Amino acid sequence: MIDWAAFLVVAVASLVAAAIVVSLYAFGLRLMTTAGRIPVVEPAEFTGAITILTQKQAQKEAKRARKAAKANPLSPGQKRLALISAYVCFVLCAGAVLYGVYLVIPALHGGS
Amino acid sequence: MDFTLIVVLVIVLALIFDFTNGFHDTANAMATPIATGAMRPKVAVAVAAVLNLVGAFLSTEVARTVSGGIIKEGDGADSVSITPELIFAGLIGAIVWNLITWLRGLPSSSSHALFGGLIGAAIIGAGFGAVDYGVVVEKVILPALIAPLIAGIVAFAATKIAYAITRREIGKPDGRGGFRYAQIFSSSLVALAHGTNDAQKTMGVITLTLIAGGFQAVGSGPEFWVIAACAMAIAIGTYTGGWRIIRTMGRGLTEVKPAQGFAAETSTAATILASSHLGFALSTTQVASGSVIGSGLGRRGSSVRWGMAGKIALGWVLTLPASAIMGAFAAGLAHIGPIGIILDAVIGAVVIAGIFWWSRREKVSHHNALNINDIDDAGRVVKIRKTPRKPPRQDRKKVAL
Repeated sequence: MIDWAAFLVVAVASLVAAAIVVSLYAFGLRLMTTAGRIPVVEPAEFTGAITILTQKQAQKEAKRARKAAKANPLSPGQKRLALISAYVCFVLCAGAVLYGVYLVIPALHGGS
Repeated sequence: MDFTLIVVLVIVLALIFDFTNGFHDTANAMATPIATGAMRPKVAVAVAAVLNLVGAFLSTEVARTVSGGIIKEGDGADSVSITPELIFAGLIGAIVWNLITWLRGLPSSSSHALFGGLIGAAIIGAGFGAVDYGVVVEKVILPALIAPLIAGIVAFAATKIAYAITRREIGKPDGRGGFRYAQIFSSSLVALAHGTNDAQKTMGVITLTLIAGGFQAVGSGPEFWVIAACAMAIAIGTYTGGWRIIRTMGRGLTEVKPAQGFAAETSTAATILASSHLGFALSTTQVASGSVIGSGLGRRGSSVRWGMAGKIALGWVLTLPASAIMGAFAAGLAHIGPIGIILDAVIGAVVIAGIFWWSRREKVSHHNALNINDIDDAGRVVKIRKTPRKPPRQDRKKVAL
């Protein structure tokens, strides 16, 4: 018999798991930005197709980020709070991913 | 035919299949991080290869039956005996189909190719009754429809969330480049999950053959050398990188940006983990393709190339019957006897060599997998070089004189 309920459970479980991980990381980035530490990560390779960025554009973006960070209206205390919250988000996100690794490896939870 | 020889042939073919499985599936984990520049192409495939190698050793779970009940093997009343000749024929069908789809750059499920090949071989070997069609619908056809749908919805939602949370006023830096770091981890998780699943299938095939040949006790798990050989085969395959499929997944379906890439990879990992934990395995390839499409729909201003998505879907529909027909053909030849098996091996080798020869006419490697076209690339190189270079001092003097 086809187990439709199982498909539904998988759909809901994956949706919840992905939403949690992505939200945590995105909140972390958002808080980093709020704290004035805007993450600018240059692509390891300019692939031409997808990343429309060139080296020059990337540098421009980094400059813009520095400028925006300077114009941050928050007090130092608020900034620190935002930064700490960002790190908390990243740690929680890493925890969620490690739980995924734990699930991947049957030896860690007694096999299945 | 010498029984030992056919067992050796099956093992060699199984390892070749494992190799094609590896390079067919590199794209599932690594197409999006390569596309967004989260990792250099060579680094990405190396990471995927190592994680596949590790994954193959990590999982102690053994595929008890290779076909998962699709073929009525075993000791039941209406069961058929799976001879090494049938497995041999099925593997030829699976390998050839995997190579054809690779040549066309289509991400298709390697498991379905393996099932198809075995089904075709079993039908020729033991008639249409050898296949449990209810199980085919339940374990192959239905998941093939559902996997991309679930993954697509999840990735769509995840992409929306990622963009909504990091959204700022236009012109203000949003820090979305930071998703590139996250991509390294999310894609690694997909690669690890792949390693724990896919190398198992080949281990199962080889162990089944060894048991059938009386080289191993019935009901025992795979020998260590089998695990090691399969892990190596899938890792080398992964490192070789199916650049054609990476091209399709990385830029053929939609333009991928870091936030989308992260959302897609997380959705792929979540869906695969959730499904394999609830007892039915969804195809990694189909989940990953669905995620990429979903993330393409989730970002404002991005578009999905439905023509390409249609081509991929057609490839999925064809995978089972096409590899079944090839497996059946190979099984038919193998039925003749030793000469048939030799013919099979020769034809298989010729077809594989032919596909590789054909692929060299338009080479796709880590150099060009994700560049729109060479003209565009050349234009950018020229631009960068032009700006900083000043004429050498001596030349300027000459002009002054």
